[in-house]
Amino acid sequence: MQDSIAYLQKLLASHPELQYEIREKTWATDFLRFYHSQTNYNISKLSTQLSVDIYKGKKSFSFQVDDPQPAKLEAALRDAVGVVDKLPEDPDFVDLESDLTLAPQRPVTNNIEAIPLASKTGILSRLAAAASMYDFDIFGTFICNHQTQRLVNSNGLDKSSEVSPIYLEVKAVHNKSQVTVLETFGGEDFSFFDEQDFSERLIRKIKSCSADIVDVEPGHYDVILAPRCLAEFVQYLCYGMSARSLDNHSSFFEGKVGQQVFPAFISITDDPTDPQLIRRAYGSDGHIYRPLKLIEQGVFRNFICNNYYSHKTGLPKNGNTASCLRIDAGSKTLEQMTGSVQKGLYISSLHYMNFINPRETSLTGLTRDGTFLIEDGKISKVVNNLRFTERIERILNNVLELENRCYTIPFSENYELFDIDTIKAPHALVRDFNISSSTHTI
Amino acid sequence: MEDLIKRTLEKIDLSRVEFADVRVTRTDNEDIYFMNGFLRGYGSSRDSVAIGVRVLLNGCWGFAGTSDLSEASLDRLVRTAVSNAEQGGKFTREPVTFPALPPLRASYHFQPEIDPFSMAKEEKIDFLGGLATRIKPQGKIVHSIVMAQFQKQQRYYLNSEGTWSHTTFYNTLPMMEVIASDGNQIQSRTWPGHMSAGRGGFELFHRQAFEANCDRIIKEATDLLSAPVITEDRADIIIGAGHLALQLHESVGHATEADRIFGMEISYAGKTFIKPSMLGKFQYGSPQVNIYSDSTDPRGMGFHPVDDEGVPGRRVDIIRDGILVNQQTSRHIAHMLGLEPSSNMKASFADDFPLVRMTNFCLAPGSGSLEQLIQDTEHGYLLDFTKTWSGDDNRNNFQFTTEIGYKIENGRITGIVKEPTYFGITQDFWNACDRVCGEEEWGFHGTFSCGKGEPGQPMLLSHGVAPARFKNINVSVKI
Repeated sequence: MQDSIAYLQKLLASHPELQYEIREKTWATDFLRFYHSQTNYNISKLSTQLSVDIYKGKKSFSFQVDDPQPAKLEAALRDAVGVVDKLPEDPDFVDLESDLTLAPQRPVTNNIEAIPLASKTGILSRLAAAASMYDFDIFGTFICNHQTQRLVNSNGLDKSSEVSPIYLEVKAVHNKSQVTVLETFGGEDFSFFDEQDFSERLIRKIKSCSADIVDVEPGHYDVILAPRCLAEFVQYLCYGMSARSLDNHSSFFEGKVGQQVFPAFISITDDPTDPQLIRRAYGSDGHIYRPLKLIEQGVFRNFICNNYYSHKTGLPKNGNTASCLRIDAGSKTLEQMTGSVQKGLYISSLHYMNFINPRETSLTGLTRDGTFLIEDGKISKVVNNLRFTERIERILNNVLELENRCYTIPFSENYELFDIDTIKAPHALVRDFNISSSTHTI
Repeated sequence: MEDLIKRTLEKIDLSRVEFADVRVTRTDNEDIYFMNGFLRGYGSSRDSVAIGVRVLLNGCWGFAGTSDLSEASLDRLVRTAVSNAEQGGKFTREPVTFPALPPLRASYHFQPEIDPFSMAKEEKIDFLGGLATRIKPQGKIVHSIVMAQFQKQQRYYLNSEGTWSHTTFYNTLPMMEVIASDGNQIQSRTWPGHMSAGRGGFELFHRQAFEANCDRIIKEATDLLSAPVITEDRADIIIGAGHLALQLHESVGHATEADRIFGMEISYAGKTFIKPSMLGKFQYGSPQVNIYSDSTDPRGMGFHPVDDEGVPGRRVDIIRDGILVNQQTSRHIAHMLGLEPSSNMKASFADDFPLVRMTNFCLAPGSGSLEQLIQDTEHGYLLDFTKTWSGDDNRNNFQFTTEIGYKIENGRITGIVKEPTYFGITQDFWNACDRVCGEEEWGFHGTFSCGKGEPGQPMLLSHGVAPARFKNINVSVKI
């Protein structure tokens, strides 16, 4: 692949009228999927991709080559050079990224090699045995990726990065009632994985499922959102913090830089330096990824803005993509928060959210993998999955308390290439959360 | 390519494995994207190759995929697939098994009316740029896009039973959208909606009347800014075909994927409320509701002569006269359920593991035109053009918002409403269907991006539908 970039640059040297950006990516995965406490399938997959954007003035054309042999590269570039002049201009394009700052080097372990399949099946066999004592089977995924990226452009930018995320998701499902609980591990350093602690946390959740299953009526409830839920709402909120959404008028934060939008105890930072998060070195166009305050003591501070939209909107550019979010902890313990709820809900996980109107941050979605009734300060019953219809802005403004510790939560980014992000978040106590219907199923 | 695939299969010690297959895909893609009247992106990839090897060894699947077709890579691929099955087999309880099928040879090569890959780029740009200019920001319109995605894919399949297939398909996703703003709120309108993809080439832009609908979406997006919302708690709704395709997809299509019954998708896509004991008994919908999976209809993107584990294309009734009678299955799952496999195992690319997927998943036509159905509706709403969709883990509860609703009074459309939102429970909803329009309104609506599986696979598939009416639906969702 190194040779492919050099070869392309050599070809492009004979076209001084062109600007270019070349991105090479390799993505390898070892992907174990399991169900009913047994292997469903094991996938090993290796993908390589070379993508090239060429610019002639404000005209551009892009191409991708998955198998970058010289003859293919020559043909693709010839085709691109032949067509780019005939295309209409993008008047908002000014220049490619020119930030040449390099991120500090850090050692990266290839976790595909470090955690062989035999280790994975060993861990899963022991977790399955522990869950089976309570008539639960385990379902989920145990994934190791290894990804590299090199980005080169005609402004002299040449940046390489490497990441090797781990994602373990275990759902324990009761064999009769189908009541489900979830435990996860995510990060890059498997030494943070404590199998005994993971197993004990899973079993504690399993034990909480012995209560009756009930339905609750639609209405407004005080709820405790598990860290995963708070993190996911904040992920969706970040859509409106992008300069792109500002540009297309769908941002909730339009005109709100410097304004108090949430309570003063809410602070959100996009921080790639936290060792417990899966770290990112650069943004999509190569700008260095640095800590960026998004919400500081309730005040909206910054849009996430790449080079293109910086030129278009006049906002300062950064390399951030909201992939390393940290929501600051509060001051109460989870027990104190739960104890303060007379009648409410504990929500473990969310499912299938979609915006209704992004500018208003309105959306709908469902609870999943463990919803519980809280009565008189204690979890009392298991509740069927519920639908909510809410505005994230309202949820955050209704936060009464945040827990005094954060948890690292992994999320799978299951789109073009399977990637994994992590977010640090505490539990949150939220009043008047709008449950709009019940699913009548667990 | 046939030689390479045969050679790869021969690298597997077939005396050791219960089953094996080798797949190759060769894919061309082209994406064109106009924003606010200007060309924002034009990208292409040609002859993107992927190969995948799947083996069943000691009752456990192992799989490996790559884009590297070198001999050394193919050797490594086979070794890895076998090793994955061996290692995975150490964490199994019930081995995968299914009956053999007789070998067959199949070939099918689709030709579009207008091949987007041999069409001059300038011609495509001229046409799409013309649309982009017509809908660029003006009046209350603050943002607009016109986009096209073209795909040509050759698929090769060979398995250890001797089944061979080679097919070529062209698929196109045409789309345009405008966003209107009054400074406080935004409203959007798309054409032809989010289920606009289909089998074919550039002719889809003409067939779906893009030019004739530019002014309409500008006006409707603008009018929506001052339109009322639905105020009733319940109403009769007619669902237009584009949106009904997604309703069918989410609340019947996914619910009847049988891998969900066994929890194979719990970690991502979810489960289903359906249990094996419901087959032949469960009143899924009213007697007007007839739903089938049909991979034999070449008009839809779900057509194939052979699926991705060697099962010949089939039409299978899923719901007959309202009763659930079958499922979408793999060979393994069909065997567990005592059914014939339904030919629904598909992978997006050859380096993806095949999963139970919808192919052409269709609601059979009833009778009458949409105009007649509106005339026959005293009070209600015609809802179309999906804005928001969401279905629960068991596919039992759904909620949809469409871009626009057309108010119906005494058999006539009398106005519009914005962001009409309805929700329901799957069985109640389909039992509230009292009429499906006829053949004259029936057609295929498709998507390029049905997400399922991990690593994720965006699947291309189609739904044959005609508009249908549902009585007394809950439309009282307030935000």
